[in-house]
Amino acid sequence: MDNIIEVKNVTFEYEDGSQKDIVLNNFSLDIKRGDFTVVLGHNGSGKSTLAKLLNGLYKPTSGQVLVDGISTTDEVTEIEIKRRVGLVFQNPDNQLVASIVEEDVAFGPENLGHSSDLIRQEVDEALKAVDMYEFRNSTPHRLSGGQKQRVAIAGIIAMKPDCIVLDEPTAMLDPKGRAEIISTIKKLNREYGITIVLITHFMEEAVDADRVIVMDNGNIVADSTPKNIFNNIDLLKQVGLDVPQTTELLFRLKQGGMNITTDVISIEESAKKIYNAIHLEEI
Amino acid sequence: MSILEVKNLTHTYDGNTPFMHDAVKNVSFSIEKGEVVGIIGHTGSGKSTLVQHLNGLLKASAGDVLLDGVNIWDNPKNIRSIRSRVGLVFQYPEYQLFEDSVYKDIAFGPKNMGLSEDEISARIKEICELVGIKQEYLEKSPFDLSGGEKRRVAIAGVMAMKPEIIIFDEPVAGLDPKGRNDVIKMISDYSKKYGSTVLIISHNMEDMALIADKLLVMNKGELALFDTTENVFKQYEFLKSIGLNVPIVTQVMLILKEMGVNLPDNIFTVDRAVEHLLNISNGGNCDA
Repeated sequence: MDNIIEVKNVTFEYEDGSQKDIVLNNFSLDIKRGDFTVVLGHNGSGKSTLAKLLNGLYKPTSGQVLVDGISTTDEVTEIEIKRRVGLVFQNPDNQLVASIVEEDVAFGPENLGHSSDLIRQEVDEALKAVDMYEFRNSTPHRLSGGQKQRVAIAGIIAMKPDCIVLDEPTAMLDPKGRAEIISTIKKLNREYGITIVLITHFMEEAVDADRVIVMDNGNIVADSTPKNIFNNIDLLKQVGLDVPQTTELLFRLKQGGMNITTDVISIEESAKKIYNAIHLEEI
Repeated sequence: MSILEVKNLTHTYDGNTPFMHDAVKNVSFSIEKGEVVGIIGHTGSGKSTLVQHLNGLLKASAGDVLLDGVNIWDNPKNIRSIRSRVGLVFQYPEYQLFEDSVYKDIAFGPKNMGLSEDEISARIKEICELVGIKQEYLEKSPFDLSGGEKRRVAIAGVMAMKPEIIIFDEPVAGLDPKGRNDVIKMISDYSKKYGSTVLIISHNMEDMALIADKLLVMNKGELALFDTTENVFKQYEFLKSIGLNVPIVTQVMLILKEMGVNLPDNIFTVDRAVEHLLNISNGGNCDA
């Protein structure tokens, strides 16, 4: 076993005046090193709280979150946790601080006290990893949403993290921006071996994940491969979610009598499957 | 006569400075009463800037906005009445909730229009029924509601003004699938019931296929296309080239067509795709 993150029996409560709001109750989850995990769940299901617990931005009320075996409540190692697990949020405008792209990306390594030569190298590599190197001297506010979000990701890459947690990083982006972010995430996972935890409301973004976790009211209600998860339409609808449009199409065709299985979810695979089904019936 | 007419509208930001640029360039279009028009375009294409002109929140650097044939700036003192005739629901409108009860928040707009308490109360009841806000929620604090519920309350506040035109700027951004479906349905129900004209900015092509009669496509501040949803979604290559796309189901159909399956080029919803594909597999016309 090699888990980069272990969430052990975590309870998390917000205190709102005299009222206590329990978001997670005795919640446990292991994230394997190198995995691409997608977390689905309706608004208020506890996904964002989980994200913030994973890098120590929130501390558990009880229980433990371990990153590489180090507890996030240990103040001495706080910076080590933040370096290992980077967090990307929904709104790119709230995450960029500098007026030049490369200065923004340098912010993290500077805080780690790296030498300027090393910072130069880290920043260049990070910007290349997200395909934003040619924009290194631009001002962030002139960039598109997808480009800004990639700069935010570069800022994390520059700190050489083991894991990146992204909380709805595409919610505010146009179709091209969304596609850019998803392909960047896959590249970081496959080519750089970075563990990815992606929280999203877009079902189709989960299609290529190794593992999909479905949360409801602070609990995990399903944990499997994308194909298995999206084969369970009833469960997903019950918890306010949906299936990718490709899955819906295949299901409806099957219901309508077409001889077709529903265990594929990518656009290309779906087309092939439908093509074959049509041909089979002709023969 | 069109309910809304935009003539050669240009909006220049940072005029007379080195940062001067046109966010909206010479845009003209007209919208008929009762139409549901989707506005799509890459981030920064000028969509939000454009719609803020339609209720006089922004004043154009050049060009005109005509509401029912009358220039909205003919009498600048009247611009407030324009704002109750053309309602604008901003992005993340729930951030603008501020009252201590749901009722008061929805009542805020109608109150500013000078409506009587009785009329306000009747409208709130009517709108809440339509959009599925339960009666017992009205006394709750809006801050005790879930994200999706807050969004619906904020939208109901604009709907309760019964504007002739209602504009939504990314009404489903950040919502989960159920929340998205609920909001799309409430917009569609509202427009059907009151025959009101609706403009929706969205990045979600699947939703647009379900709800929009026409699509207005913005690219780099210019109007690139304005046509029926069908005619716009037929231009797949062009949409791709400006950072947009067609619904996922249409992308599947395009691959099937390329493989030789005989399908029309106007399939944008799962319903239609299922209908055509089952027809083919049951021995209908098929060149495959």
